[in-house]
Amino acid sequence: MQERVRLDDAQINRDLLNSIFETPKWYWPLVGGLGLIVLTGFAAAGYMINHGVGVTGLNRPVMWGFFITNFVFWIGISHAGVMLSAILRLVQAEWRRPATRAAEVLTVFSLMTAMMMPLIHAGRPWRVMYWVFPYDFARGVYPNVRSALVWDPAAVFTYLTSSILFVFIALVPDIAVLRDRSTGWRHILYTVLALGWRGSVRQWKLQLIAGILLSAIILPIFVSVHSIVSWDFAAAMSVEGWHSTVFAPYFVIGAVHSGVSAVVTVMLILRWMFKWENYIRKEHIESLAKLLIVVATTWFFFFLLEFLFGLYSLEGPEVALRELQVFQMPWKGLFIAFLLTAYFIPVPMWMFRKVRRSIGLMLFTTILVNIGMWLERFIIFIPGLARKQSFTFTWGGYTPSPVEIVIIGATFAMVSMLVLLFSKVFPLIPLGDAKEGMILHDEIKIGKVTVPAVKREE
Amino acid sequence: MHELHHPPPPSYLGMTAQEITEDVLQRHESSGRQFWVVAGVLGVLLAIGVIGFIMLLSEGFDDRNVWGYYASVFAYIFLVAQSALMVSIALRMVKAHWRRPLARISELFAVVGLFNFFVYVPLLWALPVTDGRRSIWFEFPGHSPHLWDTLALGLLVVIGLALLYFASIPDLAAVRDHSTGSRHNLYRRLALNWEGSKHQWKALQVGISILGGFYFMYLVFTHMLISVDFAMSLVPGWKDAIFPAFHAISGYQAAVAIIMVTMSILRWKGGLKGYLEVDQFWGLSKLLLALSLLWFYFWWAAFFTYWYGRQPAEQSVLKFLMFETYKVPFFLAFGLSFITPFIILMWNVIRKTIWGPTLAAAIVLVGAFFNMIRFYVPAFSVEDSTLHALDVVPAVNTPGMADILVTIGALAGAVLVYMLGTRLFPIISMWEMKEGLLLQKVRTFMKIEIKVLAKPE
Repeated sequence: MQERVRLDDAQINRDLLNSIFETPKWYWPLVGGLGLIVLTGFAAAGYMINHGVGVTGLNRPVMWGFFITNFVFWIGISHAGVMLSAILRLVQAEWRRPATRAAEVLTVFSLMTAMMMPLIHAGRPWRVMYWVFPYDFARGVYPNVRSALVWDPAAVFTYLTSSILFVFIALVPDIAVLRDRSTGWRHILYTVLALGWRGSVRQWKLQLIAGILLSAIILPIFVSVHSIVSWDFAAAMSVEGWHSTVFAPYFVIGAVHSGVSAVVTVMLILRWMFKWENYIRKEHIESLAKLLIVVATTWFFFFLLEFLFGLYSLEGPEVALRELQVFQMPWKGLFIAFLLTAYFIPVPMWMFRKVRRSIGLMLFTTILVNIGMWLERFIIFIPGLARKQSFTFTWGGYTPSPVEIVIIGATFAMVSMLVLLFSKVFPLIPLGDAKEGMILHDEIKIGKVTVPAVKREE
Repeated sequence: MHELHHPPPPSYLGMTAQEITEDVLQRHESSGRQFWVVAGVLGVLLAIGVIGFIMLLSEGFDDRNVWGYYASVFAYIFLVAQSALMVSIALRMVKAHWRRPLARISELFAVVGLFNFFVYVPLLWALPVTDGRRSIWFEFPGHSPHLWDTLALGLLVVIGLALLYFASIPDLAAVRDHSTGSRHNLYRRLALNWEGSKHQWKALQVGISILGGFYFMYLVFTHMLISVDFAMSLVPGWKDAIFPAFHAISGYQAAVAIIMVTMSILRWKGGLKGYLEVDQFWGLSKLLLALSLLWFYFWWAAFFTYWYGRQPAEQSVLKFLMFETYKVPFFLAFGLSFITPFIILMWNVIRKTIWGPTLAAAIVLVGAFFNMIRFYVPAFSVEDSTLHALDVVPAVNTPGMADILVTIGALAGAVLVYMLGTRLFPIISMWEMKEGLLLQKVRTFMKIEIKVLAKPE
């Protein structure tokens, strides 16, 4: 049931700009703490670059480990932005309103974080440009444009560029509100960024069209990014378990599962931090939870397809890989934990309305999903590489080193810190959307009951 | 088929509940002459199909190749009819008010599912056991697909019929209350003492939700069984994890298309212009566009992984199913299921018409037909399915007279069964329309008229 909250424009401005104009006591200590973790991560990366990738747990034939897992994980989180913002905007879902900005911002920051991972993984980050840019710099050897590793940066960069544009276009009216309420350097910054926004009919119309156009254009990019990431693996013929036709949609839907869960986590934390109970309401969380049930179940179907058709041909190496994943420690434990956390605990819980409307339980279950989805990537990538192949004479396993663990931990701190810093400069719930929601809100009387309703122009 | 007797009503939002009941019941009671003429022609075509079937039977089941086109037609009707219910189920799940006029049109396809079950049965004799070949049944007995696929398809048909029946009970009661004699007796039995009590309404809503949710999941599962057992597992070297999902997506696409084509026919000949308006075509055309794009994406994911991999076994499969042996049905399917509907439906101006979405939908239905041909005919033409790769690519199987007759007969039978279904169940879901009247209002807002849609729990 929709809660009937009526708020006027002035109160919406006041409430949603509180993160910018007021600084809670916990804010800077928290940002500082997170910053410290990020610095530690950079120090660890510096140490690794100085001493070489030998300080990681990577060992032949497992040359992709925590960093690549984390790269795919953050790319996955970045899919929340488009899923929630673009698709829900196109289908005119009213409950999208408080979630869009948080989702878009999470997209941008998680993409930036994801892009750092292959750079760090390379060990000599500056050399990466020789490998990925389709240009012959000095050696008379062009990079192989037929390699999935070259498509990756193109796709991710395109997604990052369009996501930043997407966030910015939606931000312009809110920046103008900030411009009119700020002084000093902030006023100058907002004046420049507001692009002369006055809120005329023409400007709103252009903004609306730009939003819809960008939503439609960004959708194929959104699908292509994780598809291409999946082909980093599916195009590798020599590793068991990777060459599967289902990988692209399986990765995309998995990304949406983890991304939307992450947005719910972020929204719940923001609701608590900035006291946005009137904006991020239980009805919104409930709708997101219903969406998650569908997304999670679709993802699980694709997981079953991937697993089933891995075994389908009953080829020895493929069966051995699945045995390794499911029956041998430590993979067995991780596999069970992955299934429980990514699907079997959260989804049955979401079937109950009480859970969908419980802030604590939704926070718990959405965090569980992301633990599970991180493990999923780890279980897909590492056992396949760890399987002994023909002509692999030096055969080691993989155990992550402290350096890798610190760097991975720092990425989580970095995304959290960047979201918090963003909240200090821009509103994390779109003011215009919140106000439009109030205008479109209506009621219909049926007998003795009044039912919440929404106005639709078409 | 009674446009002459009953002129089309104005937009149903301008009608009262009483007017909707009277109008729909009047149309339901009397079927015009045209209706029975068309039904008769379809009956004759069905009989011709039976002759084709007897011709196929006379060739026996030893040569699987004989049954390739028969399997394709079965798969096509399965694809279209069993998925058609999903349109109503999915739109009801997301509480789209514009679904109301098309809910019964979609659910009535359950009766076609029943017809198709009878089409399916002879295929069991043509399907080889799984011993010695790749299949999803691994160490299960060799006849597992015969048993489990039949049970799965049968149960799917039963759930579909249960959903149709359950969602029709209030309307069957309305027919009961407005009829006399034997018709009254029939509908009295069918309506199961429906009185419209609060308890009954609650049970109805819960029942529809559970049956709908179950049908959704079960349909995907059945797609997997049928597509793998009757196509993929018969072709050595074809190991394609996305194929069941692609099959299901093709089904949803064809489902949306058949609903649109049916709606157009009902507008044209059934006098339902007042119920089936641009709103419904616009909504469905957006879905059709999205599904056409997904069709391409799923196809591309499979094609690309095979093509890029350069594995000999996979290259043979590509040549067999797409680029050499069956290139004609493949390119027709690709053009009609993706390129043409995409070009037509990408324009909002066209999506907001009746003719545009109908044209795209009709094209998609033809594309879906060729899509099934390019899977099932080649699969049934492989002589030895126990090999690890397609060492020798079989020759193309062109349709013979029996194949053409069976195809025409089966399609005519499916349409005939649907038409007869409209005589038993009112084609417009009256109770959902009346519920829609309560939950939708047209109000003036800032000088323009807009729709206000209630969003109850």
